[in-house]
Amino acid sequence: MSTDAPTPRDLSERALGTLLLLPAALLLLLIVVYPIATLFWNSLHSVDQANPQAGELFVGIDNYTRAFADDRFWTSTLHTVVYIVVTVPGALLIGLGLALLANKPFRVKWPVRLGLLLPWALPLVFAGLIFRWFFEYKTGVVNDWLVALGMDPPQWLSDPTLAFWAICIAIIWKASSFMALMLLAGLQAIPRSLYEAAEVDGATTWQQFVEITLPMLRPAIFVALIFRTITAVQTFDIPYAMTGGGPGDATETLAMYIHKTTLDFLDFGYGSALAALMFVISMVATSGYLRYTRRSAGRSEE
Amino acid sequence: MNFTRKSVVWFSALVVVVNGFFPAVWILLTSLKTETELLQVPITYLPLAPTIDNYVLAFTAQPILRFMWNSVVVAGLSTALCVLVSALAAYALTRLRMPHRNLIMSLLLAVAMFPLISLMVPLFKVMRELGLLNTYLALILPYTVLSMPICTLVMASFFQDIPPDLEAAAMIDGCSRVGALFKVVVPLSAPGVFTAAILAFVNAWDEFLLALTMMNRVSMRTLSVGITLYQGEFAFPWPLISAALIIAIVPICILIAIFQERVVGGLTSGGVKG
Repeated sequence: MSTDAPTPRDLSERALGTLLLLPAALLLLLIVVYPIATLFWNSLHSVDQANPQAGELFVGIDNYTRAFADDRFWTSTLHTVVYIVVTVPGALLIGLGLALLANKPFRVKWPVRLGLLLPWALPLVFAGLIFRWFFEYKTGVVNDWLVALGMDPPQWLSDPTLAFWAICIAIIWKASSFMALMLLAGLQAIPRSLYEAAEVDGATTWQQFVEITLPMLRPAIFVALIFRTITAVQTFDIPYAMTGGGPGDATETLAMYIHKTTLDFLDFGYGSALAALMFVISMVATSGYLRYTRRSAGRSEE
Repeated sequence: MNFTRKSVVWFSALVVVVNGFFPAVWILLTSLKTETELLQVPITYLPLAPTIDNYVLAFTAQPILRFMWNSVVVAGLSTALCVLVSALAAYALTRLRMPHRNLIMSLLLAVAMFPLISLMVPLFKVMRELGLLNTYLALILPYTVLSMPICTLVMASFFQDIPPDLEAAAMIDGCSRVGALFKVVVPLSAPGVFTAAILAFVNAWDEFLLALTMMNRVSMRTLSVGITLYQGEFAFPWPLISAALIIAIVPICILIAIFQERVVGGLTSGGVKG
């Protein structure tokens, strides 16, 4: 690229480029930027329940101080964090396993590919419904196996701890195949010659995995982890379908609490404050991702 | 040696396939059982007397065809809009000398990371003020934006690979720059456009939270919401739900079965490039 002053041709390209980016920019303004801006405005206002005619009154940071004093905010945040801590490494491990299995030289490739694509294409809520059916007390297939193994069938979805684990299993199943697809692409980009050279040097399969596969896979693992973390912050569909947040609010996530506050309790100001807090939490995760992609974008242009 | 290697390959394939298919297969088997058989303990695996009664029920007890139509309209129109808008953006970002290209691309990607729930709260209010609740537009516009980052990324990677000479040639022949985009660049990167379209369609078809929020009228529900809310109206009717689930996932399964290679390519293009 030249470093000279822009030529008329450059300028006309810029004008056209701006024009072509305009529809996307307008949609972003309407659907993302404007709502996010009003989100913060809304979070500083509240409707006085005793006097709703007065409209939305400015309440300053009241909604935020209320959130920090709200046990349900903290427990649902804690649940979200625990889901992240369990399902991100869980999905990574299972996804890595699936990717290694799927990286074998199959003559017919479509069944394995579909095996990875199907969980991805299945709507999250449907995965939740199906796993709810698996974990039914009497008619679920999981308890049927446990009984066959001579164990007492537990009440999966009405026990707070077990319901949490059942949800984690469903999330990990659903998320691991997308991870496997990303890691598989990373695996296939590793040059075969590296393994051949390692074999000549007498490296075992395990040594090859630790010395070649894992280091070469690091960028793919990193991106997959970030994607998974950002999705996990927003966990909603699967617990909604499996337990509705119950028993009580034992499996409720922050996203579910926000949804309830806003649409069931119609407490818009407070819901907005909670949503704004969530926004801040996930921007921290996103900025990490951005820093990473921009760094690697710079690298590939060198 | 050859034998063990072969059995390892077979075993690997089996694990991946069983892991991916068992929930769908189990729901399919469930949907073919009678209600009495479903309540039976111990449970049965293969249906004793396969029946399509549940499917009849699924089509009659709830307006599932209406849900499906809603999903088709919302997913179809948002996909078309998304591909159009993203194609223009991807073209500007890859084939024109634009300043701050990387910054714009990063900002676009940042949108993909926004928590939907944070967006949902104010968006609900915006849509209510615009009088768009319970209209298709309330979902089409957000779905377009949600898939815009991945679609732009996928198409940009395809646009990049087209030699600039082809475009120059079309322009010498009297095409305008935008004409060259639609007559040369888009047809040549058809696989990319197609991949983007499938990803956008699946994203829209599967979305739940916004669909649940923006449509409170039963007749406007999409499939994912319509079926999930069966539970509120009956005491968890598994026969009905299993049949409805199969009806809802068959179109998506056919779509990804036909275009699996492209879907995989598109899904991973975002990640591996990074």
